[in-house]
Amino acid sequence: MECSLEAIFDQALVEKNRLRTLRSETPPADFLLKIAAEELAERLAVVERQFETAAEIHGYTGLAARALLATGKIGKVTRIETHAAFAAPGDAFATAPLEQLPLEPASINLAVSPLSLHLTNDTPGMFVQIRRALKPDGLFLAAVPGADTLQELRDVLLQTEVEMTGGASPRVIPFADIRDIGALLQRAGFALPVTDKETYTVRYDSLFELMRDLRAMGMANPLTARSRKPLGRSFFLRAAELYAQRYSDPDGRVRANFSIIYLSGWAPHESQQKPLKPGSAKTRLADALKAKTLD
Amino acid sequence: MENKTNSVDPKLLELLVCPLTKGRLSWHADTGELVSERAKLAYPVRDGIPIMLISEARELKD
Repeated sequence: MECSLEAIFDQALVEKNRLRTLRSETPPADFLLKIAAEELAERLAVVERQFETAAEIHGYTGLAARALLATGKIGKVTRIETHAAFAAPGDAFATAPLEQLPLEPASINLAVSPLSLHLTNDTPGMFVQIRRALKPDGLFLAAVPGADTLQELRDVLLQTEVEMTGGASPRVIPFADIRDIGALLQRAGFALPVTDKETYTVRYDSLFELMRDLRAMGMANPLTARSRKPLGRSFFLRAAELYAQRYSDPDGRVRANFSIIYLSGWAPHESQQKPLKPGSAKTRLADALKAKTLD
Repeated sequence: MENKTNSVDPKLLELLVCPLTKGRLSWHADTGELVSERAKLAYPVRDGIPIMLISEARELKD
C-alpha cells in the first residue's frame, strides 16, 4: 500500500539519519526531545485520569515514554519504532513503518507522538490512524516542530545558494502552521482539540555548530527533492557569514529558533462536552445581546 | 535464532495488527512468527520485538 501522493520525505533517509546518531561517537543531541518529553509529561500529569494502555509512536530513544511513565498516570506503554535499534532493554516494543500504525482499532487509552509527525508524508492519514487506535475517550498528545523552526537557517541557506549558483533547492524541511495542525486534529475527528506553541531559542557559536547538532538529532535534510550536488566549503563559509550578520547577539553567538507545537485531542465519547444542537436554545440571541449593551 | 528470545508479550499481541492490512495477527509459536493472513506475510519476532516491516517479512504461499 504505497502512498499515492508525491512523497516529500525520503523515509529511508529519515531512518538512516536517526540510526546514524545511535552509532556515532558523538552522543545524540536530544535536548529538544528532552524538553518535549518533559512538556508532554507535564500536560499528562494535570489530566485527572489513569491511562491503562499507552503507545509512544516513533519517539526515537523513548525519552517521552519514560517521562510519561514517571507521571504515574499510565499503566503500560508500548513503543513503536521503525527499527529495533531504538529499543531499550525491557521496553514493550514493536517495529513498523513510520506511516503505518500497527495498532488494533480502539485498543489504547493514550497515544503520544514526540517530535516525529513533521516527518510524515501523509500527516492527515497519521492523525486518522492514531484516532482509530484510541479507545473512546482516549487521549492523543503530540509535540510537532512548527513554522518558524530553523527560519534563520532556511533564510541564509537560500540566500547563499541564490548568490553562489543563481538557483535554490529545498534545504530545510517545511514545518506546519499551528492553525493547520488544529484543523488536522478536527478533520481526523478528535474532540476538544487544543494546540499551543512554545518557542525555544538556542544559541550557537556559529552555523557549523548548529548544523552539527541537527545531524546529531538525526535531522539532516531528508527531503526527496533535496539537491544531490555536494556543496563546497566556500558555500558553508558564506552561509555562516550571513548567519552571523543577520542573526547574532552582541556577544557574537548566533540564534536558532525552534517552535514546538503541543497538541492534544480526545477520541469522541458521549460523556464529553458538546455544542448544543442548532435550534435548541432556550434564550433568544436578541435578549442576550440586549443584556450586554445595557451594562 | 535461539528459542528463548522468540516469545512475545501476550499483552503486546492484543494491541498489534498488521500495519499493511490492519488485519489481525496470529502468533505461530513453532516458527516464532506473527502471521497476517490477509497480507500473506509472516513477520519475525526478534528478542521479543515484533518486526512488522515488509522488507523483513516472509511471504506465505498457498
